[in-house]
Amino acid sequence: MLQCHARGCNTNNFPLELSEVEIQVLETDYNPQFLRNMIPKLDWNALVVTAKKVGITAVPDVLPETMNEDIDENFLRNLHRILLETHVQQGKMTCPNCKHVYSIRDGIPNMLLNDEA
Amino acid sequence: MNIQSLRKQVSNKSGARARVTQAMFSEFKARLIPNGPHEEFRLPELESLAKIENVRLSYDIKDYKRDCPFLIVTIETEEEAERLIKRSILTRNIYELWGMGENYEQVHEQVKEKPGRWARYEHKSFKFTVSAFGATCSSDHQVHIINSFSYLGFKGDISLKNPQVQFGVLEDYGLDPYLPAPPPNPHTIYFGRLIASGNRDLINKYNLKKRSYIGNTSMDAELSLVMANQALATAGKLIYDPFVGTGSFLFTCAHHGAYTMGSDIDGRQIRGQASKSVKSNVEQYNLHGKVLDTLVFDICHHPWRENLWFDAIVTDPPYGVRAGAKTLGRKDPSKKPLVPKLIDGIPAHKREDYYPPTKPYEMSEVLVDLLEFSARYLVIGGRLVYWLPTIVDEYSSADIPEHPCMKLISNSEQNFGQWSRRLVTMEKFKENLKGEHATVNAKSFDYSLLASQKKDESREGETDSDKQNNDEKKPGHYLFREKYFSFKSGEKAKRQETWIRFKNKEKGDGNPSDVPSSSTNQ
Repeated sequence: MLQCHARGCNTNNFPLELSEVEIQVLETDYNPQFLRNMIPKLDWNALVVTAKKVGITAVPDVLPETMNEDIDENFLRNLHRILLETHVQQGKMTCPNCKHVYSIRDGIPNMLLNDEA
Repeated sequence: MNIQSLRKQVSNKSGARARVTQAMFSEFKARLIPNGPHEEFRLPELESLAKIENVRLSYDIKDYKRDCPFLIVTIETEEEAERLIKRSILTRNIYELWGMGENYEQVHEQVKEKPGRWARYEHKSFKFTVSAFGATCSSDHQVHIINSFSYLGFKGDISLKNPQVQFGVLEDYGLDPYLPAPPPNPHTIYFGRLIASGNRDLINKYNLKKRSYIGNTSMDAELSLVMANQALATAGKLIYDPFVGTGSFLFTCAHHGAYTMGSDIDGRQIRGQASKSVKSNVEQYNLHGKVLDTLVFDICHHPWRENLWFDAIVTDPPYGVRAGAKTLGRKDPSKKPLVPKLIDGIPAHKREDYYPPTKPYEMSEVLVDLLEFSARYLVIGGRLVYWLPTIVDEYSSADIPEHPCMKLISNSEQNFGQWSRRLVTMEKFKENLKGEHATVNAKSFDYSLLASQKKDESREGETDSDKQNNDEKKPGHYLFREKYFSFKSGEKAKRQETWIRFKNKEKGDGNPSDVPSSSTNQ
């Protein structure tokens, strides 16, 4: 699952930059309520940047203003695809600040810091 | 019949019949195992379900007794009663109460007061059951009882498989351990129409025996499901387990539609072996898309961006018996003596499967960290549900760690003799302000001091009794691991071993869950 809120070691280190990724898309049930809850928690820029890194451009660069009931269905569907159906199976995440590389294997990111971190 | 024990109580006291509310009673399930392990869990679960389903539930707490599986509750409508119980694990059935009393005359009298109530079922196919709590009742007795209700005059077919309506007679003989045999007559009898049953089938579905991947710390299905209820797991919520182990809670919470995430310091447990892993369990239960992610990191040094991410945190912190609590080795300068050895592995740490060194993580520190984390990352109204191991003799309710933002919802004990574990449910009820921290024993408890003390103790090889003396003012879970193993010393050793062998045997039967999960195998 593609995630956008991991953080590296100290500060100014978000979002982690994905590279060498292998993506898997698994369809799953659509739950608009969950997505609505998630939107305010997301750092939109980080999500857009990260999504582009893995070749997804289906979300707008700027978060739509109308965040209420009349939210665009199409927009939510796209968000659903990114947040819940796109899985990074293999890859690397690099901290933009300290360049620490976290690896993702079998869909499980390893966020442990080594001795020197 | 002998396996099930029941309990109930009444809402409409005699005479107060004028109200429209229907008196319901729900039949709680308890076990015949001595110290029936889950009786303290029933009421909190029912309360949580009422909250999840938004059902107005009332009952008289004075009527609730641990050793009685019946409780009379008042619920506005039948539909609400059904909703209340539909995902219940520890409440077995809910009935519309038609009559109750100390003897059958009283029961019949009450039933006969409202003949209008029977008429609706006159031509429906039906089924009648008689069950007893605290005694067995012979089939002759059952037939006799059923016949005594013949005045109801039902004309529909009797259908044992698919009745349109079911009636139940429940006899409570009580559980008096000092009686050589059950008393000849029940002290209370209830009669009612079955409204709905709980969802105990789920226990079977998530049974560890059938789960493709489990570890020695996987939580048994029943308690995992109860925890999902306590966490108010419902569709669309995001629930997190920071000591995920083999993922037991991810599945039960996801079953109710919540999105779940887990992390653990030890990725080996998550990945498992080739075809057996948390992922294979997700596939087995068809929960992909609900169990979002598992990550590997140390909860003491986690990568979560500051935000109110989670609707609930459900976890079983490691308490060092089956699996030791670990945190990364060099995080805490006060633990310097451990560090030098750890650096030797430098060439190895570049490898993909490298796991950094870890150090023991004292239970009481784990809990304080867990509470701090919850206060920071839970939404308001979000719940923290976790297990607290304690030494029975040393436990006092002040041992439960506190946080200014978190209020205690319930605290249920599962007793294992000298030690027990408690399922603690807390709810975040206000904003977490800077400078507010988790505490134990009302006054701030200096855990770092204790931690260093502990190390000194173990290094100097003090005897257990010395240790016990030093522990006087410490919570009942402090140095839990050491105390747990010290039970084995002296005369107790033999008994303990027998007990463990017995438990291992149980485990061989596929129930390896008597000690909860943790972050790292030793």
